[in-house]
Amino acid sequence: MNLLLQKISLPLASFVLEVDVEIRNRVVAIFGPSGAGKTSLLDLVAGLRRPQTAFIRFGDQVLTDTSRGVRVPARQRGIGYVPQDLALFPHLSVRQNLLYGRKPAGAADRLFSLEHITDVLEIQSLTARGVLDLSGGEKQRVALARALLTSPRLLLLDEPLAGLDTGLKAKILPYLARVRDEFKLPMLYVTHNPAEVSALCDEVLVMDRGRIISRSPASESTWLKQAEV
Amino acid sequence: MKRFIRTIASFAVIFAALAGQAADLTVFAAASLTDSLKQAAMDYAKHNGQKVVFNFGASSTLARQIEEGAPADIFFSADEAKMNGLEKKGLILPGTRKSRLSNSLVIVVAADSPLQLGSATNLTDAAIKRIALADPETVPAGIYSRAYLQKLHLWVAIEPKVVPTDNVRAALAAVESGNVEAGMVYKTDAAISKKVKVACEIPPAEGPDISYPIAVIKDSGQIDAAKAFLAYLNSNEAAKVFERYGFIVLK
Amino acid sequence: MNAEAWQIVWFTAWVSILSTIVILPFGLAVAWLLARFEWPGKSLVETFVSLPLVMPPVATGLVLLQMFGRRGFIGGFLHKHFDLDVVFTWRGVLVALGVMSFPLLVRSARVAFEGVNPRLEQIARTLGAGNFRVFCTITLPLASRGIVGGILLAFARALGEFGATIMVAGNIPGKTTTLSLAIFQSVQLGQDPQAYRLLAVSVVLAFAAVWCSEWLLRGKKH
Repeated sequence: MNLLLQKISLPLASFVLEVDVEIRNRVVAIFGPSGAGKTSLLDLVAGLRRPQTAFIRFGDQVLTDTSRGVRVPARQRGIGYVPQDLALFPHLSVRQNLLYGRKPAGAADRLFSLEHITDVLEIQSLTARGVLDLSGGEKQRVALARALLTSPRLLLLDEPLAGLDTGLKAKILPYLARVRDEFKLPMLYVTHNPAEVSALCDEVLVMDRGRIISRSPASESTWLKQAEV
Repeated sequence: MKRFIRTIASFAVIFAALAGQAADLTVFAAASLTDSLKQAAMDYAKHNGQKVVFNFGASSTLARQIEEGAPADIFFSADEAKMNGLEKKGLILPGTRKSRLSNSLVIVVAADSPLQLGSATNLTDAAIKRIALADPETVPAGIYSRAYLQKLHLWVAIEPKVVPTDNVRAALAAVESGNVEAGMVYKTDAAISKKVKVACEIPPAEGPDISYPIAVIKDSGQIDAAKAFLAYLNSNEAAKVFERYGFIVLK
Repeated sequence: MNAEAWQIVWFTAWVSILSTIVILPFGLAVAWLLARFEWPGKSLVETFVSLPLVMPPVATGLVLLQMFGRRGFIGGFLHKHFDLDVVFTWRGVLVALGVMSFPLLVRSARVAFEGVNPRLEQIARTLGAGNFRVFCTITLPLASRGIVGGILLAFARALGEFGATIMVAGNIPGKTTTLSLAIFQSVQLGQDPQAYRLLAVSVVLAFAAVWCSEWLLRGKKH
C-alpha cells in the first residue's frame, strides 16, 4: 500500500491526535491501549471525521487536504470499514446487508463476487437470516463480507476479534488470514492483542495518547517491549 | 361544634358585607356599545365613584353565559329576542326592563377601497367576493342584516359570500383588515373606525327595527347599585353620550 | 347526526390529514437537522419551532392572520399574483392546523432520529451510499416507529385545533367549520344535543389517534 498520513491533527477528549507517517507495507497493525485514538485515526482515513488539519493520500489520490479544502466524501473513497461494533443494519436481512454497498453491475473481478466472498467466509447459509439471529462469530464474518463486497482498495478493521472469547477468536483468525491472502488488499488492522499482530500483519505502528510512538516489522519479536515505554 | 359553625358563619357574613361594599358592577353589553358605554361609565364614576366592569361581546354569547350562571348585574342587549329568552327563564328582575336605544345599519368598505356601493344590491356584484357579517344565525347585528337583505330578496345571492363573525366588532375588524371586500355593521361601529368608510347607509325607516333593551339581572349581588346605574343609563345625561356616538335614543 | 354534522366531520378529517401530509417533509427535515447537526443559531430554531406549542393558540392565530391576510407578507403576495385567498378559506384552516401540529411532529421525529445509531449511517456511507440514500434506507426505516407516532400525534392535534383556526379561517358554515368550531357554535346556539354528539365524535377520533401513537412509541423501546 501507499498511504501517506501527513500533518494529521484532531483534538480529542484529553489529547490531540497528531500523526505523521507514510505506510508502505500491505498489512499494517495499529497497536495500542484503548483510548489511544486508533478508532479516530481510522475514521479520518475513511472520511467519517473532519480533522483540524490533515493531508491524506492513498496511492496517487489525495483524499484529504485541509490546506486546500479538499475532502473526498466517504462514499467515494473506496475504503471498506469493519467497525468495532460491526454496525450491521438491524432492519435488513443478511443478504441485504451484504449487497448494500454493491454496485448494480456487480464486481468486475470474480474475486469480489458474492459467491466467492460468501465462500471464503463460509456464510452462504446465513444469507436469508435476519441480522439479529446471528451469533457473534457469524456477525463478524458478515460485517467483513459486507465491506469486501464493495471491492474496496483498502480495508480498515477496528478490533475485529475484540469481545470474542478465545475459542471464537481462534475460529475467526483463519478467516482473516484467508481474506488477507485471497484478496491481497492493503489492510489497516487496529488491535490491542499482540497475538493478532504477529499472526496477521507485516508491520506494527504503536500508538499511545494520539501519537505513534514506534513502528517496526511485526516479525521483530522485540516490538512489544519497545512499545512498553 | 356549634360554636365552630357560628364562628364560620360570622366570618362569612363579614366577608359578604365587605364584598358587597363598593364592589364593581358587572355589565354584560353588546359589542356595538363598547365605546359609548365605557364613556358613560366613566362619567358615572365621576358622580359617585361606582366602578363598572364590562363584558362586551355578541348578545347571543352573553345571554348564554348569563343562562349558565355568569355573574352579571346588568344586561344591555342589541336585540329584544335575547332579552326575551332571559325573561322567559326568569333571570331578569321584573320592572327593570326598558328598550333604550336604536341604531341603523350601514355597509362599509375599507378606507382605501376603490369599490363604490350605491345600495345593498351592489353586494351581489362580482367584485364583492366576501362580505363580513356578525353571525346571522345568532348575533343581533347579523340577524338584522339578514332580515333586511331577505326583505330585498338579496339574501339568496349574498349568502354564499358571507363570512360570519363572532360579533359585530369582529365584522368591522375583518373589513378593516382588507380580508373581505365589504361588511354590514351598525352606523355607530363605522363611526368609531378610521380604517373603514361608509359605502351606503340603510335608512332607519327602510331597515329592520333595531332595539337595544336593558335590564337588571335578578341574581345580581348588588340590586341597588345596579338599579342606580340603570337609572343613570336611562337619564338624559347618558342619552347625550349615546347620541354623540350615533345611537338613536328611544323615548 | 344529520348530513351537516357529517360534512363537518369529513371536512375536519380530510383537512387534518392534508395538513399532516403537508408538514411531513418539512417536519422531518427540521427534525433531522436538529438531531444530527450543530450550528450557530440552532437554539433559536429550536425555540421557534416550539413556539406554537407554548404560545396561546389564538396568539399564534393572530400572527398567522397578519402574515396570511390580504395585507400580509405572504397573503398579500398570493392575493396579488395568484388571486388566492388564505384567510377565511379552507386554506386558512390548513395553515392553522399545520402550524399548530408542526412542533409535535418535529419533537417526536427528532427523538426518533436521535435514537438511530449514527455509526450505522456512517458505515452506510463507507459502503458508497449518498446522503439521500442513507436517509431513506437507514435513518428513516430505523426511526419509522417514532415518526409514525409523531404523525399520529400531529394529526390528533390538528383534529382538535380551535384557537388559531377561528382566528385565521373564521367559522364559515360549510367552508371552514371544523369539529371544534362546530361544538363551540352548537353551545353558543344552545343546541346541546348536537354539541354532545360532535363532542363524542371528536373524543373517539382523538382517542384513536393518540392510542395508536402511544402504542407505536412504546413499541419502539423493544
